[in-house]
Amino acid sequence: MYAEPIQRLIDELARLPGIGPKSAQRVAFHLLKLSEDDAGRLADAIVDVKARVRLCDVCFNVSDQELCEYCRDDRRDRTMICVVQEPPDIVALERTREYDGLYHVLQGHISPIEGIGPEDLRIAELLERLKAPPGSPEAIQEVIVATNPNIEGEATAMYLGRLIGPLGVKVTRLASGLPVGGDLEYADEVTLGRALSGRRRIQ
Amino acid sequence: MFVRKLALEDFRNYERAALELDPGLNLLIGRNAQGKTNLLEALYLLSGLGSPRSSDSALIREGADRALVHGCVVRGSRTLEIDMEFRSGRGPRALVNKTAVPGTRELSEITTCVFFGPDELSLIKGSPEGRRRFLDDVIVKLRPARFGIRREWDRVLKQRNALLRSWPRSGDPRTAVETLEVWDEAFARAGAALAAARLEGLGALLPFCRKRYEAVAGGGRIEIGYVSSWLSEALVLESLDGAELDPGELQDALASRLRELRSREIERGQSLIGPQRDDLAVRLASPGETVRDARSFGSQGEQRTGALALKLAEFDLLSDALDETPILLLDDVFSELDPARRASLSDAVRDMGQAVLTSAEPGAKGSATANTVYEVVSGEVRRRD
Ligand SMILES: [Zn+2]
Repeated sequence: MYAEPIQRLIDELARLPGIGPKSAQRVAFHLLKLSEDDAGRLADAIVDVKARVRLCDVCFNVSDQELCEYCRDDRRDRTMICVVQEPPDIVALERTREYDGLYHVLQGHISPIEGIGPEDLRIAELLERLKAPPGSPEAIQEVIVATNPNIEGEATAMYLGRLIGPLGVKVTRLASGLPVGGDLEYADEVTLGRALSGRRRIQ
Repeated sequence: MFVRKLALEDFRNYERAALELDPGLNLLIGRNAQGKTNLLEALYLLSGLGSPRSSDSALIREGADRALVHGCVVRGSRTLEIDMEFRSGRGPRALVNKTAVPGTRELSEITTCVFFGPDELSLIKGSPEGRRRFLDDVIVKLRPARFGIRREWDRVLKQRNALLRSWPRSGDPRTAVETLEVWDEAFARAGAALAAARLEGLGALLPFCRKRYEAVAGGGRIEIGYVSSWLSEALVLESLDGAELDPGELQDALASRLRELRSREIERGQSLIGPQRDDLAVRLASPGETVRDARSFGSQGEQRTGALALKLAEFDLLSDALDETPILLLDDVFSELDPARRASLSDAVRDMGQAVLTSAEPGAKGSATANTVYEVVSGEVRRRD
């Protein structure tokens, strides 16, 4: 057992995702070696992020204002919503520069093992955004479901499809399939099967 | 294909061990509990399908924090260096030629092993789980790209069972039912894909199995059926006879049974039908008689012959399909067999590629013909000249 302040730091660090007891100990002793200034900057950054960063009122992306940068931006296409699981997914999509619509962050996926059901996600808020009557200028014309291509992401997409389809809004799913630069011969059959069912016409 | 070199570190009872293996017959001699089987297990692990006998955490030598297995595998004109690392509480890591691969399943593209141990009688007498695992492993060995089907199925089953266990769910009951419907659809799709792969694998295995059984038993017959509470018997029989399967038909069959059983599954809090409950029915017949259930009616000798025929059929099927001879790992099997079966097995071994045998008898059968003989004494391996 270490002195109380060190043990407390180790315990706190060990609660972070992806950090086990051993890494927590390593990080704690690294922090111990920091200069007063460096330690202060790190502590400030943590306090600051909690004080100043919040979730966007509309799409639940991280933001330092009531509305995030995408919801504020008038130049973006307001008839499309791309649904993602977490804020970093937006960053990944933005890097492609292929999409200029709006976003909606579910804050997770459906996973009974982790006790996460649809009511724990921002799904009700998404449906609220789709309420504008078709034909009106605020009406959403397409929802692109960009959840992860794993079991939980697929189940979440299927669930959204069932809810949104009947509202008369077009629902699409990101194509999932073969990795670029990969070899067809060695592709996993599940991946290959999905790629086949999501095939598209050339031209 | 063959393993040219095997090296271990902190693996089970070995602190360090290294063996050079012959492309033909290799013999490991030692008294019981000295670590012979551990060497076969390490060879099997190189094929990326997990241990044939236990969880990965047991692989780590007591007091060590990780176990290492290194193998040098020759396949066709290629020589591949495989390194595996096992740590408790996380999945195994694998390197091929010093480059990390995304998952150990990549290894099943390189090495294929058939393991035959003294417990194989459980293929006939044991629980359905062992028979499902046998068939599921054959499917992946036959086509490594099928691994994803199994992984996806395992995950969907766990998720759906977790959902059923958590019933009744708080909140809107309609949301709960809609969530279940989503998992039903995933369950039916993944389950149908696995069942289709199993039927195809079993259909391919059967002709080899019949031939081997007849040869080993000197007549008689073996039949293996796929027992399922959600597939029609007619469909199973047709597909085992080689008819093309329509995965959509299987998916519909499973989906409609799920709808019928919904309230019972909710009440019981788990999935009551699906591939996780299916089984293989092994039936045997003496010459001129009709087939009967091997588990209830077969003699001990017939059951052993059945298990041996299944394993040899696995070997034959893989040899035929892969254009490569799998590596045969025989763990102390000769002592369990009577002279006739012993003879037919050693005939078979002679025709095969690389084989690694263990035996407790110093003058064991094959020691005269083996190309390489190692003695195993309490975690030490010594080559006998
Ligand atoms: Zn926003």
